[in-house]
Amino acid sequence: MSTIAVEALTKRYGTVTAVSDLSFELAPGRITGFLGPNGAGKSTTIRLLLGLAAPTSGRATINGRPYRELRDPLRRIGALIDPNVFHPGRSGRTALRIAARPARIPGQRVEEVLELVGLGGAAHRRAGGYSQGMRQRLALAAALLGDPETLVLDEPANGLDPEGVHWLRGLLRGLAAEGRTVFVSSHLLAELAQTVDDVVLINHGRLVAAGPMGDLLGRAGAASLEGFFLDATSPDAPPAHPAPTRARSLS
Amino acid sequence: MRSLVSAELLKLRSTRSAWIPLAAALALAVVAVLASTTAAGPDATPHLSPATLPGLLRGSGGQLLDGAVLLCWIVLSAGEFRHRTAVTTFLAEPNRLRVVSAKLIAAALTGAAVGLLAEALGAATSAAALSAHHVPLAWSQPGVLGAVTAVPLLAALFGMLGAGLGLLLRHTAAALGLALMWVFVIEGIIPALTHEPGIIRWLPEAAANAVLHGASPAATTLPAGAALAVLAGYAAVLAGAGAALTVRREIGTTTG
Repeated sequence: MSTIAVEALTKRYGTVTAVSDLSFELAPGRITGFLGPNGAGKSTTIRLLLGLAAPTSGRATINGRPYRELRDPLRRIGALIDPNVFHPGRSGRTALRIAARPARIPGQRVEEVLELVGLGGAAHRRAGGYSQGMRQRLALAAALLGDPETLVLDEPANGLDPEGVHWLRGLLRGLAAEGRTVFVSSHLLAELAQTVDDVVLINHGRLVAAGPMGDLLGRAGAASLEGFFLDATSPDAPPAHPAPTRARSLS
Repeated sequence: MRSLVSAELLKLRSTRSAWIPLAAALALAVVAVLASTTAAGPDATPHLSPATLPGLLRGSGGQLLDGAVLLCWIVLSAGEFRHRTAVTTFLAEPNRLRVVSAKLIAAALTGAAVGLLAEALGAATSAAALSAHHVPLAWSQPGVLGAVTAVPLLAALFGMLGAGLGLLLRHTAAALGLALMWVFVIEGIIPALTHEPGIIRWLPEAAANAVLHGASPAATTLPAGAALAVLAGYAAVLAGAGAALTVRREIGTTTG
């Protein structure tokens, strides 16, 4: 069974359609890049997947269930959707302890993930004094708290220095090698090209392309992921998938 | 539910702007007794006597304590949206009704605990001060039990009012402003605006006073039991409205 399935997902805000009839599936053990220009609907799709917003129609599921129906969700799916979700007056350690408590995740695991993301020495400091890169690492630590089988990461490399980006790439590769599903949204195409196995590309809320990166680039005759992205999202580009669109399984 | 309540209490302990008002209210519980007993004496006005004790205990709670608990839970519940910690809260427990319930339980527990602590501090200070004035201590008089019961009960309800108001408005400054405006302006002018002087007894501050001090001889307040029910009704309405909106509203992020 795919870990994440998005089925005919649509989200409208008044007259604006943020996500339109979007469908794709992800399989375990793969890193999938979620691409699209600004305003394409990536963050909205992720918020719909995580139950932070309700779809107008369609559904997004994790192991067959909407996020809001998951029991112990932190142990199923870890999410980094915003590095600025920590109270500035609380220490990094306390922020994670608060996040861990509803799932009964022990304090030892909090210390493990703090060390894993390189914040062990700064865990006692207030999150308000963290750099953006440190907040990003803290958010990543929160995503890893429950040792989940699926990770959803929205712009995880934002604010990281080159060493941090290199470290993140290794971490994601390692997580996928353990059989986990990793879903990464990012604008850093050169970085993504070194990391992802598969690609889901959306524009104007609709699916443009989905599949293994090598296949997509080969079919499009593109030399790079950036070239493929620019061609596929240019105003002159023909629709890659006539509506209604449905990505084939990426497994 | 226990782990959710525990998480909410950890949020309280780790948020200075939430617990400092509580600490200040506890300090004032002692100061209120000292101020009353220092200014008074056996031959002065007010006259210190065994019957003074219930009044001293009520003075250790009352508006300041209720206001501190209200402020604390407005800061905590509205702060979830101000600081976007609601994202991590609802990712950890996507059943929002359970989260809201945990907040309300934690708010009530906080109020009850702080109310009991204020009464304990007030009782200890009263005992020392009255003994210093050679006034016998009459713990078994009816007013003592009433004060020791009413103060934690009121503080628990005000905690729930604060949590509900914070969830409803999701804006700390707006919720605090509305609460202050209500206490100092709105509740006072409602009888004039409605041309119904008797309506005041049904309003929250008057109801809280009636719970703490009992019905006035002029019958301008409700009996304590009815006033408590009215206040519980306000807490239930605010909490219910806050819960309904929290379940329906989308949770935003800074990234889109």
